[in-house]
Amino acid sequence: MNKVSLLKFSMVLLMLLACLPLVVPTSVAQVSEGDAASAIADAENVIISAYEVILEAERAGANASVLLDRLNEAEGFLTRARIAYSMGNFDEAASLADSGKNIGEEVKGAGVDLKDLSLAQSLQNMWVTAIGSFGSAVLILLGSFWVWRVFKRRYFRQVLKMKPEAATYES
Amino acid sequence: MNLDDYRSVFMAADLVLILLAAVPTLSLTAPFPSGEPFSELWVLGPNHMIEEYPFNVQVNESYSVFVGVGNHLGRASYYVIHVKFRNQTQPLPNVTISEPSPLSGLLEYRFFVANGGTWETPISFGFLELSRQDDSLSVSRMSINEAVLNLNASTSWDSVYDGFFFQLFFELWLYDTRQESFEFQNRFAGIWLNMTA
Repeated sequence: MNKVSLLKFSMVLLMLLACLPLVVPTSVAQVSEGDAASAIADAENVIISAYEVILEAERAGANASVLLDRLNEAEGFLTRARIAYSMGNFDEAASLADSGKNIGEEVKGAGVDLKDLSLAQSLQNMWVTAIGSFGSAVLILLGSFWVWRVFKRRYFRQVLKMKPEAATYES
Repeated sequence: MNLDDYRSVFMAADLVLILLAAVPTLSLTAPFPSGEPFSELWVLGPNHMIEEYPFNVQVNESYSVFVGVGNHLGRASYYVIHVKFRNQTQPLPNVTISEPSPLSGLLEYRFFVANGGTWETPISFGFLELSRQDDSLSVSRMSINEAVLNLNASTSWDSVYDGFFFQLFFELWLYDTRQESFEFQNRFAGIWLNMTA
């Protein structure tokens, strides 16, 4: 009796073990060449879109050098992923590409924030500068008008002070 | 000078002062023109100087150079350097028509450089498998940094300079956001290698 139950238990255990890869396929299965290639392509796309966001942030007046350093880190992972891929280490290639992609996505998010902040700052700076220029122009005009009035009054006063003098003509 | 002349002087002075006050605002809407944008590419020897480049090379020895790029394009740029290897008869890039070399790259380096910034990397290379047959020499494996590369390059004996010569060269490409691809920048630099030994 004990032997029969032990046999049944062993059969059930074997069946469960056989079904295990179906339940947790990704954690055990090796990454295929196609999966590694698509992981690298995904990471490349993320890095390129992060770069485009950085360019927009720069156009808005941001200094994005820190983000570029992070993007170079992502590229470092991607370079290693390509080398691993060319050597047939697809697991390592996919893992490195994922690391690069994660950094790329982080940079992209930070780039969008930086762009928004720079746009707001640029707009504020533009208003301050425009108001400053306009105010200065108005002050120059008012000051000039006042100086002109003073100058004109003195000019007429000087003209009125002038007396005709008779010149002697000697032949 | 009569009063009308003085009025003209005052008006001219006002105009000049108002233009000066408007310069900061004008510079925001119409930026001042900058110089011609360009990228630079260089190869330095192992001591970071333009000397002592590896020339006479042997199998299973390691050699190093530094490759660098300067960005003067007025914006952050995304570059790729293609590392290529050729013999004396294979084509170099054609700078007259901005065509890269048709040879396939052994390896590539992609990187970002801020405007006005530079990027530089050490490149160590070595030859792992060479074979010689009469007056021809073939390279089947070489290493560049941590990568081991299989290649099929061969050259013939150069009777003028007495040697087997190859060239390791670097092409600079730039990512074009409008084309959504890398474009050759008409810049390349390389070193000649004598494999006679």
